[in-house]
Amino acid sequence: MYPIPLVNLRKYKSMLLYFALINIKIRFKGTKLGVAWTAIEPTLTFVLLFVVFTTIRDQPKENFGVYLLTGVIIYHVFTRGTLGGLTSLRSNYSILESINIQKEFFPVVATLATCILLIVQLAIFFGLMPFFQFIPTWTIILLPIVIGLLMLLILGFSYILSIIHVYVRDIQPLWGITVHALFFITPIIWYVDDIKGNDLGNVLMSLHAVNPIGQIVELAHNIVVFNTIPPLSDWLYTVTFCFAIFLFGYYVFHKFDSKIVEVL
Amino acid sequence: MNQYAIKLENINKSFDIEKSKNKSEFARLFSNKTKLSVLDNISLKIKKGEFIGIIGRNGSGKTTLLRVMSGIYTPDSGRIHIDGVVAPLLHIGTGFHKELNAKENIIMSGLLLGMKKSEIEQKVSDVIRYAELEKYSQMPLKHYSTGMRARLAFSLVLQIDPDILLVDEILSVGDKKFRDKSFKAFLSFKKKNKTVVLVTHNLGNQFLKMVDRAVLMDNGKIVLIGNPDEVVRKYTEYQDNKN
Repeated sequence: MYPIPLVNLRKYKSMLLYFALINIKIRFKGTKLGVAWTAIEPTLTFVLLFVVFTTIRDQPKENFGVYLLTGVIIYHVFTRGTLGGLTSLRSNYSILESINIQKEFFPVVATLATCILLIVQLAIFFGLMPFFQFIPTWTIILLPIVIGLLMLLILGFSYILSIIHVYVRDIQPLWGITVHALFFITPIIWYVDDIKGNDLGNVLMSLHAVNPIGQIVELAHNIVVFNTIPPLSDWLYTVTFCFAIFLFGYYVFHKFDSKIVEVL
Repeated sequence: MNQYAIKLENINKSFDIEKSKNKSEFARLFSNKTKLSVLDNISLKIKKGEFIGIIGRNGSGKTTLLRVMSGIYTPDSGRIHIDGVVAPLLHIGTGFHKELNAKENIIMSGLLLGMKKSEIEQKVSDVIRYAELEKYSQMPLKHYSTGMRARLAFSLVLQIDPDILLVDEILSVGDKKFRDKSFKAFLSFKKKNKTVVLVTHNLGNQFLKMVDRAVLMDNGKIVLIGNPDEVVRKYTEYQDNKN
């Protein structure tokens, strides 16, 4: 029978949390501000972009601050999460070479660590809203679904990236550039409604359609900033997309995971 | 009841080796690889409570065999049966994280070796005391010496009390006092009817005196299995002939 993702990790249930906390500890080891960076990094990015775009645009749209904040935080979680997942196998080489353990454990632990750090980022998210005199409406109750999809996507990418990183180290700088590109094709600093129509906009729209993180950000914008519930078809599209990446990631991971220790 | 702790049947294992070293990293990805056979049709049965010593020259396949037994390497073909909880002690400071202190590392390794968190937390101070590292317990492991790390690894394994212990040379790095201590620990292991597989290329290793059977390996094959004195004598002759 073909193995199912996560099922084999049942026996490690009690360890996952401890390892995720250790993962966070190691991630920020040596920095003076430690875990506070999880808050500082997206906040500073947000402030920088906010200052730039409110200066160059004559009339920023209504609630531009919250719109930008939503995009920046989701993008930040995705970037940090996938980069953490990418190195998860190589950075645990000493464990892998000394004990027989399900290799899947490591990308899952990295994603769980990202999940825990999300608490900090959500605190900034809701903490900054009053500055823009913004009160979210009831549609925000759908936010947990969006977060769930985001985590599924991060785990899917972590599977793929971590196993590639074992064989080809170049994936690390390559992925760094890729997430840079993703920043521009994701509706963080632009609005989906604004780009429809012209040629360049059409190109951007077709890129947006195949950009999973862009789809997640768009759903979040709708429920947080625009107080609307996106049509069911939009939900289904994003859910299918994220699940497909998750399952494909696991498939690739499982196909190559038996040789990890030898290759490393 | 199954009388064997470890049963290996026709184990083969080979590694991919690059044909040419001169190629760029990128070219190497797609280049043809040759197979280097490291374990060649190995069959071995180890009874419960048996103390086995595996000897052989560097590169004869001893460590690979131990890694196959512990499940870290998947063999290319053949069958493995393991009956009991296995604790591998393969490298110095195995599974330890150099940025973490002794306590954190004990909990992490203990969890990896299948203990419950509450169980390990109770044993942390015992492990540190046995390793004689009380003074250094708050220090990250990167500041530990090799011997200190080996002591920590060994005391941890003793506290876990596994059914099968796989040891790769690591005890030779401790000082005399610790070697005597671990010698006693091995004796008590033996009394408790535990299975131990010890790998060494050092014939002066005092642990060889404890061994029930010795296995001589060369070129990925088992050359001889039997009485330790006889195997050691053969190994010495063998090496002299080669020189």
